[in-house]
Amino acid sequence: MKMKHLLFALSALFLVIALSACSGGDDSSDNKANGENGDKDEETTLHVAALESAYGADMWKKVAEAYEATNENVKIEFTIEKNLEEVVRPEMQAGSYPDVFLLATDREEALTETLIKEKAVENLSDVLEMKVPGEEAVVKDKILDGFTDTLATNPYGDGETYLAPMFYSPTGLFYNESLFEEKGWEVPQTWDEMWELGDKAKEEGISLFTYPIAGYFDTLLGSMLYASGGPDFYNSAMTYEDNIWETKEAERVLKTVEKLGEYTHPNTVANANPNDFTKNQQLVLENKALFMPNGSWVVDEMKEAPRADGFEWGMAPVPAFEEGGDRYAFTFFEQIWIPSAAENKDAAKDFIAYMYSDEAADIFLEAGAVQPIEGIVEKLNDQKKIFYSVYENGALPAMGTFASTEPVPGASISDEVYGTIDSVISGKTTYEQWKKDIEEVSDKLRPAMK
Amino acid sequence: MSNKKARNIFITVCISPAIILFILFMVVPTVEVFRMSMYSWGGFSNTKEFVGFDNFKVLWNDAGFIQSFQNSVLLIVLVAMITIVFALFFAALLTKENLKGNNFFRIIFYIPNILSIVVIAGIFSAVYDPESGLLNSVFDIFSLESMKQMWLGNQSIVIYSVAGALVWQAIGYYMVMYMSSMASIPASYYEAASLEGAGKLKQFTSITLPLIWNNIRTTLTFYIISTINLSFLLVKAMTGGGPDGSTEVFLSYMYAQAYGNSTYGYGMAIGVVVFLFSFALAAIVSHITKRDVLEY
Repeated sequence: MKMKHLLFALSALFLVIALSACSGGDDSSDNKANGENGDKDEETTLHVAALESAYGADMWKKVAEAYEATNENVKIEFTIEKNLEEVVRPEMQAGSYPDVFLLATDREEALTETLIKEKAVENLSDVLEMKVPGEEAVVKDKILDGFTDTLATNPYGDGETYLAPMFYSPTGLFYNESLFEEKGWEVPQTWDEMWELGDKAKEEGISLFTYPIAGYFDTLLGSMLYASGGPDFYNSAMTYEDNIWETKEAERVLKTVEKLGEYTHPNTVANANPNDFTKNQQLVLENKALFMPNGSWVVDEMKEAPRADGFEWGMAPVPAFEEGGDRYAFTFFEQIWIPSAAENKDAAKDFIAYMYSDEAADIFLEAGAVQPIEGIVEKLNDQKKIFYSVYENGALPAMGTFASTEPVPGASISDEVYGTIDSVISGKTTYEQWKKDIEEVSDKLRPAMK
Repeated sequence: MSNKKARNIFITVCISPAIILFILFMVVPTVEVFRMSMYSWGGFSNTKEFVGFDNFKVLWNDAGFIQSFQNSVLLIVLVAMITIVFALFFAALLTKENLKGNNFFRIIFYIPNILSIVVIAGIFSAVYDPESGLLNSVFDIFSLESMKQMWLGNQSIVIYSVAGALVWQAIGYYMVMYMSSMASIPASYYEAASLEGAGKLKQFTSITLPLIWNNIRTTLTFYIISTINLSFLLVKAMTGGGPDGSTEVFLSYMYAQAYGNSTYGYGMAIGVVVFLFSFALAAIVSHITKRDVLEY
């Protein structure tokens, strides 16, 4: 009996010691964090966490070197990973936050969204007023128009910028230009012309349409919503306005997607997963499908892939709904931001302002990443210029994303709007059901908006 | 007395490291999961809000959760049933029949188990490829056009495609387990049975099956645990839960909610349900398959 007591007491004691040891660790790191705050004159170590995307990690090292050359008391430490979320999440949960993040929204792990939802992202509106380091221009004058007043940069819709735009890329419908020349086809201006072309192509055994994965519809559907109802309508949809999906503007967008299902290459849905999505992109390269929604990154992504003879990339804005109607090309961009828990916020803001300098933009451009700043299009090579000059050829720019809300369990607007597209294309879900489901989730998210 | 006391202290000191590790890395995190399921929390900030059982109430009306639950249960049942039949058949074949290349087959069957699940996902997305895939090509050869399917695209069969891959990788492992217990059954039983005129099937059902029953019971629990875990990995790597959530299993749904939807507390509530469900299922299965252990 005694033995049992002793055992119990001892294990309880160990547990207490172990637990207090754990919490003790937390305390000390907190103290350290407080202590290091505000030491401006001494050397600051700026911890930058960046996603390693198609552009590679080297450009960041070069940018850091250039930055350190002019800011001698700043040392930059990087965490550059393809699976950045998985690497930094545990560190952040232990209380150690990077100072600067280059991590876009709409990624599967949604780390950026989580911090936005938790109001744990620093307001960057003052960065826009700062001078670009080493230059005379103010940041907001240098950034291209429209980039800092979308829901993708001002997630709470209150006019304050929390995420700064980086590396932009126009998106649209990608196709094989030489195939169109060879067959004498015109790139359709309206959806009606699109269906006509679809019938013509079908006779030749070519499908009109394919898509890599349903998530790529965020840009296509965005452009369609813009084209159907204009920017205000788009913003109403993105802020979950009641019954917005019941309007005829929204309805014709959803109906068009449903009709697109009839013209979609039969293999598409089977390959629309993270493992096989390149097989869908391959369909366009091999002239088995005419169009796919994509961004200019696809050129590098499929660089090594075999293709039809004489293949040449072309990109068209999304067709209009009526003759002479507006056509949009959605602009995709990544975001750079500072978590509220960062230690060196001032240094971080200076670093972000530096991202818009010509010096940094040139380094990024070398790796293929295009900064959204004035005059960048002139510096692009010919291949890239074709894509980036889409707006000069009559297409309107479209930007934005769904407004941030408090987290609502079981309600994901992107699953409902984009995820369901697989079912709509395969014919399992009708556009009416789709519309109803989106309305339902919108109803749940509306009261949770900040 | 003091001798006994000293002995007790010695025992305590000896087992305390294991107990501490067990508590720290098993008990505490499990309790933590249960505790977090009562909160509304995004995962980072200090604004945790205690919401009691609200997260669980939401679960009942969450179509996504119900779909993932159905998929998981279907996978557990299918994978366990099909694997057990094949594994027992091959195990009996390889132990009882003197086939040529016995060992060779044993290795071949076991190989899928060594492969990483991501490799298996790669293999099967090649097998299921709509155009050049093994399955559709075979149907092509035999002109069975009607059998050709979008194995990963047709929402009503894609979950069976996932089950197929899981069965393929599980057979070898369970076969080896059954083989080891079949091998320890004395050959004299079979000799006696065949002298009495019992056929192969009768021998299997009356001798082999009862004598390895305990082993089968243990593996039933393994089927439950491993299907829950492996289906998550396979689905993540092969279908991404798609098309449109039709291969979502409960761990992948939990992951999507805890991280993708920034509702960490809700994800933990799903974790609690999975925890209780797998425990309860294993207990029920173990209870209803309970037989007297035969000694030999």
